[in-house]
Amino acid sequence: MVSPITKATSRQDRSDQVSQRSSSGVSAPPKTARGRRRGAGARLAFALPAAALLLALAVWPVVQLARMSLHEVTGATLNHEWDFIGFDNYTALFDSPDFRHVVTNTLAFVVVVTVLGMVGGFLAAISVWSGTRGGNILLAMMVFVWALPPVINGSIWKFLLGDSGLVNGVLKATGITSQSIGFLYDSRFALWSVALVNAWAVIPFNALIFRASLISVDESVLEAAEVDGAGPYQRIRYILAPHARAAATVLTVLTIVYAFRSFDFIYVMTAGGPGTSSTTLPYLAYVQAFAKLNYGAGAATALLSLGVVVVFALVYARDVRRNEEN
Amino acid sequence: MHRTHRREPVAFGYRLFLYVVYGVPLLWIVLTSFKSQGDVLTSQATVIFRPTLDAYRSALADPQLATSMRQSAIVAVGTTAMCLFFAIPAAYALARVTSKIVIPALALLVVLQMIPQTANLIPLFWLLSQMGLLNTTLGLVIADAALLLPWAVLLLRPFFSVVPIPIEEASTIDGAGAFRSFFSIALPLARNGVLTVCSILFLVSWGEFLYAITFMLSPGNYPMSALIAQQAGAFGIDWPRMMAFAVVSAVPVFVVYVLNYRLLRTGLTLGAVK
Repeated sequence: MVSPITKATSRQDRSDQVSQRSSSGVSAPPKTARGRRRGAGARLAFALPAAALLLALAVWPVVQLARMSLHEVTGATLNHEWDFIGFDNYTALFDSPDFRHVVTNTLAFVVVVTVLGMVGGFLAAISVWSGTRGGNILLAMMVFVWALPPVINGSIWKFLLGDSGLVNGVLKATGITSQSIGFLYDSRFALWSVALVNAWAVIPFNALIFRASLISVDESVLEAAEVDGAGPYQRIRYILAPHARAAATVLTVLTIVYAFRSFDFIYVMTAGGPGTSSTTLPYLAYVQAFAKLNYGAGAATALLSLGVVVVFALVYARDVRRNEEN
Repeated sequence: MHRTHRREPVAFGYRLFLYVVYGVPLLWIVLTSFKSQGDVLTSQATVIFRPTLDAYRSALADPQLATSMRQSAIVAVGTTAMCLFFAIPAAYALARVTSKIVIPALALLVVLQMIPQTANLIPLFWLLSQMGLLNTTLGLVIADAALLLPWAVLLLRPFFSVVPIPIEEASTIDGAGAFRSFFSIALPLARNGVLTVCSILFLVSWGEFLYAITFMLSPGNYPMSALIAQQAGAFGIDWPRMMAFAVVSAVPVFVVYVLNYRLLRTGLTLGAVK
C-alpha cells in the first residue's frame, strides 16, 4: 500500500485472480466451480473472529464515544446513568479560550513534524541508500530507535533538553547562549521542542519507505549524470526524487496522521504544558477526560479529532483501493 | 548489498549529522546509567566521569523493576499471541477472497488503525470498567490486541497474497478442505510474514504505555513503559536510575531487533503506520 513492494504484491495478486477466474470460467467443470465458491465462502469465514473482535472493541467503543459526547459524564457518573445534554459539550469546547490555541498548536505541530519528517526522511534514505558500511550502520541504528519504546526516546530527550542537559551544555560551551534555554518549560519553545523530537522519531520509518522506493534507481544513470557534470543537488532533484514521488504522496498522508495523533512524546516531555502551550487536540481530549475527569467533554474533543483523522484515512484508503482495483 | 564504486549522492555531512543526532541519545542513555546522581547534578554533558553501578544496584534492588518487567513480558507476549490468533486467518481471508466486501473492509481497517488512541481510550475505560476488567492484565491485553489488530491484518495480508493460488488449488483438488489447505499450504509459505509481524507486534506492545498507565489503576501493576512514563513525569527525577530502568527495559527490544533486523527492515515498509 505504501511501498513499491506492496504494489508489486497486489499486482501479483491481481494476475493470480485473473488466472483463477479465467480457468474456472473456461475449462473447469461446473461442479468444481461450485466447490470453489463454497471454498471462498469458507475462506471469508476466516475473517469472522477478527471482525467480531473489532466490532466489539473498536467500532462499538467509537459509538459509545459519540454517545458519551452528548451526555454529561464525569468521574462520579461514569458507571451510572448519563444525563443527556445535547451538544453542550461541543459548544463548551468551541467557546473555551483554550480551544483556538490548541487548534493552532495542532496545526503548527503537524506542519513541523510532516515537513521535517518528509524532508529528513528522504535525505536520510539517500544517505543510507548507497549500501556502504557507513550507511548500513546508520540505517541499523535508526531502525533500533524506531524499535525502542517511545517513552524511552521521550525521556532521553527530556534529559538532553533539560537545564543542565547536553544541548544546553553545548550551547553554553560554544557561547551561543549564556543562560540555559527552557526548551521544555518555556512556553515559547515547548511545542517546537516536542515537534522536533517527534520529527526525529518519525524519520527512521520514513527513511525506510523512501529507501524501498529508491531501490529502482538505475545506478549507471547516476554515474552518467555525474560524468556529465551534474552536482549532488541536481542528481537528487532530477534522478532520485522522481523515483520517490509515488511513495511520497502516501507517506505524506501517513506522516500527517502520525503527527496529528502523536501522544507519547507530549505526555513524557511536557505533559502539554506549560499551561496548554504544547497541548494538541488529541492530548486535550486526554486531559479533559483523565485529568479533569470530565469524560463527556473529552469524548467531544476526541470525536472531533477522530473526524479529522477519518478525512485523511479516506484519502489513504482511496489509494489502497486504486491499487486493488486496477 | 555492498557494491564497489558507489557514488555518494549527498555530501558526507548529512550522514555525519544523522550519526550524531541518532547516536548521541542512544549513547547518553547508557552513559548516564553508569553515572552517580552527583555527577548528573553538576553537569550532564560530561563524558569523563567515574563509572559506577550504583544506578543499576538501586534499580535492581527495587522490587518494582522485576514486577514491571514480568508484567511487560506477559502483556507483550499475550498481546502478540492474541493479535496473531485473530489477524492471521483474517489476513488470509482478505488476501484470498474476491468479494465486494474486501475493499470496504480494508478501508475500515485503515480508518481503525489511524484513530487517535485517546479516542479509543475514553470509551474503552468505561467499557473495561463495565466488564470489571480495569486493573487486570487480561483487560490490558485485550485492549492492546484490539488496538493493534487492524494494523496486523494490513501488514500480514500482502504475505498471503503472494502465496500462489495454484498450489492451494492443487491441495483442494486432492481433497483438502479450506482449513487443511490453510494450515498445510498458506501458513507455512507465509511464515516469514508471520515472523515479521510477530516481532513488530511484540516491539509495539512492549512500548505501549497509554493504555497501561490508564487501565492499570495501581502503579504496582504497571509494565515497564508505564513505569518509565510515570517516573519521567515526576519532579526531581533520579536520572541515572531512570536510565538504568530504560536500559533494562530495552534489553528485550534489542534481542528481538537483532534477531529480526532484516525482516523488520523490509516488513515495516509494507504499508504501516506506527
